[in-house]
Amino acid sequence: MKKARQLWESYTFLMPSFILTIILGVYPIFWAMRYMFYDYSGYGTARFIGLGNFSRLWRDDDFWNSVVNTFIYAGGKLIVTLPLALLLAVILNHAIRGRQLLRGIYFMPTIISNAVMAVVFFIIFNSYNGVLNQFLTKYHIASSNIDWLGPKYAMLTTIIVAIWGAIGNYMILFLAGLQGIPDDLYESSSLDGANKAQQFWYITIPMLGPIMQMVILLAIIISLKGYESIMVLTGGGPIGKTEVMYLYVYKLFFPFNNESSPIEQIGYGSAAGFATALIVGVITIIYFMISRRLNRIF
Amino acid sequence: MKKLVFVVVSLLLVLGLVACSSANQSNNNNATTPGQSDKVTDSGSSDGEKIMLRYYTSGRHDIAIFEEYIEKFNQTNTDNIEVEFVGMSENYQQSVDIAFSSGQAPDLLRVNDQTFEPFYKKNYLEPLNDYMTDELTKKFDGLFNEGINQVDGQIYSLPNDGRTYRLIYNQEIFEQVGLDGPPKTLAELVDYADRITQWGKDKNIYGFAQNFKNPKASLERSAAPIVALSGHNGFGFNFQTGRFDFGGYKEVMLAFKEMYDNGSMLPGSESLDIDPLRAQFAEGNIGMYFSFSVEPGVYKDQFPTDIKWAAAIPPTIDGEAKSSLNLTAAGTFISISSESKHKDAAWKFLEFLAQDEFLTDYHEGGYGLSLVPSIQSTANEPDIYGMDGFLMTKYDTLWPVPPTVVPEGRNYTDTFFRFMIEGGDIDQIIEELSRDYNEALDKAIANGEVSVEPDPSFDPSQLISN
Repeated sequence: MKKARQLWESYTFLMPSFILTIILGVYPIFWAMRYMFYDYSGYGTARFIGLGNFSRLWRDDDFWNSVVNTFIYAGGKLIVTLPLALLLAVILNHAIRGRQLLRGIYFMPTIISNAVMAVVFFIIFNSYNGVLNQFLTKYHIASSNIDWLGPKYAMLTTIIVAIWGAIGNYMILFLAGLQGIPDDLYESSSLDGANKAQQFWYITIPMLGPIMQMVILLAIIISLKGYESIMVLTGGGPIGKTEVMYLYVYKLFFPFNNESSPIEQIGYGSAAGFATALIVGVITIIYFMISRRLNRIF
Repeated sequence: MKKLVFVVVSLLLVLGLVACSSANQSNNNNATTPGQSDKVTDSGSSDGEKIMLRYYTSGRHDIAIFEEYIEKFNQTNTDNIEVEFVGMSENYQQSVDIAFSSGQAPDLLRVNDQTFEPFYKKNYLEPLNDYMTDELTKKFDGLFNEGINQVDGQIYSLPNDGRTYRLIYNQEIFEQVGLDGPPKTLAELVDYADRITQWGKDKNIYGFAQNFKNPKASLERSAAPIVALSGHNGFGFNFQTGRFDFGGYKEVMLAFKEMYDNGSMLPGSESLDIDPLRAQFAEGNIGMYFSFSVEPGVYKDQFPTDIKWAAAIPPTIDGEAKSSLNLTAAGTFISISSESKHKDAAWKFLEFLAQDEFLTDYHEGGYGLSLVPSIQSTANEPDIYGMDGFLMTKYDTLWPVPPTVVPEGRNYTDTFFRFMIEGGDIDQIIEELSRDYNEALDKAIANGEVSVEPDPSFDPSQLISN
């Protein structure tokens, strides 16, 4: 009887979020999935075309370009963000003066809207009168203006913006992990003669293992799905140099700008959305398998 | 536990079935001919209750005049109607979609040349033929055109204004460089852009710029008018053959590429949006760019500037105008929603706006250039700096509407923009582009989505008005 009551209470608490997940998470997936096999532009008759959308996707160079760009973007972002976030967390975990203020400053980009952030970075990076170019040319670091948002550097610029926006978030997660490591371990290792570097390598890193696993997983998924700041900063351009998977899919469902052709490609967008979800899912599973194996080894 | 799994799986299956069944339902709904919705009408305020009308608009530049006239209508109408005005910007179409799909459709909605077709096909618009009076039919005679504001003889929007495409240039820069006037040919455009850049590069002044962040929005206001004035359709459609042929773009894109390659374009034009471009033009850093007749209002309110500038008819490939410039956002204005419960009241508001007073103020205020002959003949020209260069000429007319198709590959503006930056064999690019569009056209015809009748007698030069 008691068990039944406990079960009832548990499910009662679970139900609101379960219902919301079904309505806002699961139902839209089914809604989109049914159109994967249809040619549908949001009006008129949805025509069943079997695997037509997928064969088109296979031939679509722009889609595969967006997949490659996503890996470059996510890879570039993660390689810099994670070590830097860990380093900042370790530094700010020590009793240095003003660490609360510094933590707040580093975390601030996380709470700023991506769109606002991208607009500010446009002011910094724009080629003709951007703050960065003015600085570089004034101090003769560059002889002429650099086209930061042009075909050559646009991806680098979007990665820099992404790093700036993400670093504080992961720093906070690492900090939480660091604060869970008992001081006793550091004290006893000091008595055994371990220096700071040895403590970091043999105590901090292994003890951070579980949280690091979670942070890396989150970072991979978020980076592969990120597109908001790119949408505002470059719109995926120029010539698709910063087009990432989710932005590509977004544009199929919601074509940009009232001035451009407002034809939606719901069917094709659903197929592309499914393919991108599959790609992110496969990468997540691969990461899980690797991290599980590493857990067993170490 | 098993029970729980059973319940969850059942729920998911039910949801899946609901999703699939609603697909059929939506298909059935869409099978109804657009515009044939059941008419729900009201007869004013017989019960004394206020009739509230919601009007959705994407127009930002004309908010002031709408505020004034809506206020006037709300105070003066004797039917107890009150219009509420909901202004939207970037996501207008999506907002309208959401409003209709969630049962909160507005009573009136703004339509333009880009949204008319999707709104019509989604069955959002109410035919106006039954409301039309003889007086209005006469007033707008010749301004109802298939694909622009009517379909199969059913009128969906009263016309009002249109926008003209022009080359906008900085007269002070032209004078200092020693250029007599705006370029008349593509070769002159390239040459002038180069000369301005050579003269002003050290001062961060460049010959040419365009808002290439959105290739479609930029090429449709720059390359397309040159193509049209040179005798080809700006959307790449050949009305004589009823097929797509982007050959008219060859010389234009070669010229654009030359300006890009020789550094005549403002650095960063590849990621430039229209407002940052305007800000730079207002600062005197750009010699020339292309846009349409909203620019005088923009430089009056949004980016006030002291520079001397003017607008001119765009250049052509060889200096000879072989056809007209297609007016944009022309012929459509406001439609009544098919879902409105107060269609009669909504029509009263449209009738109010169709009076000479509003149409004249709209034209004279520089919010849009009137297409209505009676207004054109009586209204004063808009008194805004720079507007004289945008006033309608014999070269500003309406082209027929080409079929709308979505090619499998890149669209023509993305393709040409890529050529401008990366280069390639322009002949091959045009051939492949025309092939992709024609394949999409054949598919759309086969599916009954569009119908095309070749018109061998179509003569683009006849579009120039007399």
